[in-house]
Parts: sequence; C-alpha cells; structure tokens
Amino acid sequence: MSETGSPPRAILRDSHASRLIQAVAGLLDRPMAWIQRAVGGRGMAYVFLAPNILFFGLFVFLPIGINMAMSLTGGTNLFLSERPFIGGDHYRGLMQCGSYLDPASCREDHFWKGVSNTLKFTLFQMVAMVGTALVTALVLNRKIRGRGFFRAVYFFPVLLSPVVVALIWKWILQRDGLLNGAITLAGGEKILFFVEPGWAMFWAVFVSVWAHMGFYTLILLAGLQAIPADLYEAAEMDGTKPMRVLTRITLPLLWPNLVVVLVLVLIKAVQTFDEVFVLTGGGPGTATLMVVQYIYETAFANQVQNFGLAAAASMLLGSLLFALTMLQLWIARRKAA
Amino acid sequence: MAGLVLKGIGKSFGPVEVLRGIDLEVANGEFVVFVGPSGCGKSTLLRVIAGLEEVTAGTIRIDDEDVTGQRAAERGLAMVFQSYALYPHMSVYRNIAFALENMRLPPAEIEARVRRAATMLRLTDYLDRKPGALSGGQRQRVAIGRAVVRDPKIFLFDEPLSNLDAELRVATRKELAGLHAEIGGTMIYVTHDQVEAMTLANRIVVLNKGRIEQVGTPLDLYNRPANLFVAGFIGSPRMNFIRGRVGPEGRLVTPDGKVTLPLPPGLAAAGEVTLGIRPEHVAPCSAGEADARIAVELVEQLGSESYLYGTLADGTALTLRSPLEDPARRGEDVPVRFDPARLHLFDAAGLAIRP
Repeated sequence: MSETGSPPRAILRDSHASRLIQAVAGLLDRPMAWIQRAVGGRGMAYVFLAPNILFFGLFVFLPIGINMAMSLTGGTNLFLSERPFIGGDHYRGLMQCGSYLDPASCREDHFWKGVSNTLKFTLFQMVAMVGTALVTALVLNRKIRGRGFFRAVYFFPVLLSPVVVALIWKWILQRDGLLNGAITLAGGEKILFFVEPGWAMFWAVFVSVWAHMGFYTLILLAGLQAIPADLYEAAEMDGTKPMRVLTRITLPLLWPNLVVVLVLVLIKAVQTFDEVFVLTGGGPGTATLMVVQYIYETAFANQVQNFGLAAAASMLLGSLLFALTMLQLWIARRKAA
Repeated sequence: MAGLVLKGIGKSFGPVEVLRGIDLEVANGEFVVFVGPSGCGKSTLLRVIAGLEEVTAGTIRIDDEDVTGQRAAERGLAMVFQSYALYPHMSVYRNIAFALENMRLPPAEIEARVRRAATMLRLTDYLDRKPGALSGGQRQRVAIGRAVVRDPKIFLFDEPLSNLDAELRVATRKELAGLHAEIGGTMIYVTHDQVEAMTLANRIVVLNKGRIEQVGTPLDLYNRPANLFVAGFIGSPRMNFIRGRVGPEGRLVTPDGKVTLPLPPGLAAAGEVTLGIRPEHVAPCSAGEADARIAVELVEQLGSESYLYGTLADGTALTLRSPLEDPARRGEDVPVRFDPARLHLFDAAGLAIRP
C-alpha cells in the first residue's frame, strides 16, 4: 500500500481493533516462525493453501471420485464396499438408443427426454435471457429518469432463492392463480398453464429469465459503461444512425461481455433443476423434465434407488459442464489478454 | 462572409452557468483558437458549436444558416477529440471510411478519399492496422484523417495534442499548421496551452469564467491585452503586475510608498492602477539607470536565457528575463530597468488604460 493510502500510524496504534489484531498476530508469531523454519520460505505458500485444498478435496474432489466409483458399480447399496463392480454398464445403458433423436427408442428414455428438454430449455432460455438482458442493459445505460431504481428492481429477483421464485410464480400461474384471475376478470377462459406442455415449457423459461436476468444485465451494463462516451460522440459527428451505432460500435465492443454472458447462461441452463422442479415438477408428464431432475429422481426419489445409473448420468453432465467451464475460462482469459 | 456566427450563446448545467453571452464571428478559412484556464468553458463552447451540447440561450449560424436546433450530424462539421475517439475494433481504413459509409458514398469514392487523406497524413502503411497498434502521434493523424476525409464546413479540435509528449506536440503542431495552409478550411481549436494558441491561430479567443475576455491576433493579445486577465494569461512567464496609485509626479507609487516606478508615457491615469510589464521587457542595468532594484530569490537558467525571480522593495514579486548566461545569484540585489514603450496600465476595474 502506498504511503498516502495507509491510515495514519497514530490512529492504527490507538484503535482497539489494531490492538486485537496485534495480540492475535503476536500469538501466531511463534508457531508460524516454527513452521517456516520446518518447511522453508517457499513451503509456506503450501501451508497457507492447505486449508482451502483440504476443504475442496473433502467437499469437491472426494465426492467426484466417489461419484465416479458409484457409476462403475451396481446394486442398491449406498456403501461402495458393498457394491459389485460392473464397469461401464451404466454408461452403456444410458447410451443405448434406437435413435438419439427419439428418446422413446432409448433404454433410459427419461434420461434422453431430460436431455432433449434441457437442450430445448437451454436454447430458448439463452435467446430470451441474452436478448432481454441486452435490451434492458441498453435501456438502463441511457440517461433515463429513475435509472438507479430500475437497476435495483431488475436485480432484486437475483437475490431470491430459486424455490421462492418458483413458488411465487406457481401462485400466479396455477389454475386459480393471479393470472387466471385477471384473465377471467377480463372475460377470458382460464388457461391450465401446467397442464399444456407448451405453456409449461414457456413458463419454465420465462420464470428462469425473470429470476436471473438482473445478473446478466449487470454484466452487460458494466460492459456498456466501459465503452468510452466519446466514441458515441464521434459516431454522432460522423452522422451515424442509431441502429448502425448499435451494430457497428456498441455490439462489437460489447462482444467479449456478450460471449461471457452466453457461456454463463449456457452453463446455468444445463444445470437447471430447482426452479423448474418446484414450478412444474417436470410435468405435465415429462414435458419439462430436465437432466438434473432425472438424476435426482433416479438416485433418490424413485422407489428403486439406482445410485449407479444416476452417478453415471451426472458424470456425463459433469463432463459437459467441465467443457463449458473451460470454454468460459478460455474466453475470459482471452478477453483479459 | 462569416463561416460561423455565435450570438448571445449561453449554456448552463443545472444551476451552473458555464457560458454567458458569447458573441463571436469566425470567417471562412480562419484558424481560431479558444484558450483559457481549466473550467473556463472553452471545451463546452466547442461542443456547443459541434452540436454535442444544446445551448440554453443564443443562436448559432453556419454559412448563414441557423443550426441552433440541428443535431451534430446535420451541421456538417468534423471534430478531433482529445482522446482521438478512434473505433478500437476497426482498422485505420475503416475508421477513416466510417463517416463516408454513413453518407452512402460510392465505394470507389470512399476508397479514393481515404487513400488521399492517408497519403496526406502519411498513414498509407498503417491502413490495415487497428488503433491499438499505433503510436500516439499516428493515432492523432488517424483522428485528423477521419475529419479531413469528410470535407467538413468547419474542423473542430478539442485539445488534440494534450496526450502527446513534448517533442511530438511540436511536430504535430507544425503538421496542423501545414494542414491548414494546404486545405484552407475553417478550423476552431481548443487548448489551454498558450504556445499552441500563439503559434497556430489567426485569431485567439481568450475565455474566462464562461465569457470572452478578448478576441484578437496573437500579437494583438500579447501587445495590447484588454485587461489584467488576458495580460496575465498570454505570455510565459506571465506579465508582472505592480499595484499602486498615480503619484503627484505622474509616477506609480506602491501602497507602502517604498517603490516608485515610471508610467507609460502619454496616458492620462489617476487613482488606483496596476502597472504591467512582461519579464522580457525588464532588464538588469547599471545602478545609475535603474527604475527599481529586485532581491533575487531564484534563478532559472535555460541556456540561451535566464529568468530571475525576485521581489521589489515592497515585496511585490517580479520576474525578468536576463540574456546573460550567469546573470545573478540568489540573494543578490539587482538594479533593473523597465522598457517604457512596453509598459501596460490597468485601471482599478482591471481594464487596460489606453491613449
């Protein structure tokens, strides 16, 4: 820290907080010095990393390993030692299909229905999410009255738990919900949103966009605000029409942020579970059943709990997410460079 | 015919009045420089002319057409920004061609105009590069090229050299002067650097607190400043000011009576006045011909000349240029003589008193 940036020494010396910090630091001084003598200066880096590595190992890497082992074993027992090794049978079972385009022809038809629904959901959600977030960011980037208020309003749903979001919309959309109340009041007939497959998927996408759009709007807004204002003034002097400003200046300069948003939306969409599960329960039938819901039900909700099959499906999904995350990191690094 | 006429221009941002009652005429082909300290409103005035800011009062006419309510794009002007404002994702060629594409000119004409501008500005080898791969000077030339290629009614420059280093500034300044001589367009240039103003301008407009203090040729402003502000702003180091009263013998007497100095000949002045003299018009002399003595506090040696900073007997600061390589030392008491033909006198309100 620079001289000017640090607080005056007198204040630091006198504050209670600093005395407490100094006392704690004093207590740690001796053991730390002892550890440093034992492991050397370079080794200290690993000492400081150790707690985090342990935490990650215990709650991330170990479960991945157990999951992998689960996917290669059979039976209904939860303990690995009691489960017989069956190799790639679960994977083969999941991939066994007459045609991958027709989930009904697959041995694990619900898995493939989940894949198909997740793909549809992802595609619709990506277009709707990026489109809405972009338009909202463009509007909020203008000097409009109450801009701060609107920025907060659009961000608030992001703070809500997915279950709360889904419950709110369930109350609005159910047979005797708010929306149907309004429709009947206007003289229309009630629509059974959760009974018609098309409507159910539409609302699953809509609610997801409503809940998360604020976050992506924020990323895009940050990108828009990083575009120097004088570029727009130069464009104005150059006689550029607004649509051309958007397509030739704003969007190309926003492109790195847009790509980050696209990949993040993609990853989130593939992972979708809680909101849609609470909202539609995957129904009607399997119309909004997502892959993650299939994994959850196969492992925990079905009468016969097939941990191995669920683990194999989650390994496949995990591989896809890993690839997408690598893509996102690559893009982010390229942007930073 | 005047290329640009400003009448009663006022501009406020909320309660803050940035420009007040600006009246100015700029003839076609003129190079006019707006100069003034930070916050004087010079950049705002340029942006008002450009159409990037709306006026709160007054009218703007370009080539006898009232353009006050017109958008920037409709005014037919081009602007070179302080930050260059080049589109970072476009090549130099695309940057220069962008406005022409907006005008929907035929591709062949766009190509011809871009190539012509690039040749003139020595950018031909860089047309495929992005702005990020150019030096500051090259970027500046691209920004100028972007303006030139449009053949605008007026070129507007907003402190275009302020991001360049000292050497490049001098070189680019010469290029701009050459460009004006070559294409002969009307140019309005904003700077806080009076050397740029003096070297480039046909006429300089000195602004202070949103008002025009004086408009004139560079030498007019240097030799005949209208008031204390202009006298102090134009010239470096700034003009010396000595406050006092006109004494019974027609000489200036400082308030404590310790210093008496000659007044400019032929001026009828009385009461409170301020005497002004530029450092280059005060010279060390022999004790017999001295008008005053200064106690030297600082000596700046610039090689070809030196500046002495000191105080008169009453404590008034005085700077003078000494042609000697080893003029005086700190703490010395130096007799000095004022060039009587170069004295300026200002009344109590700060306005120049002229014969």
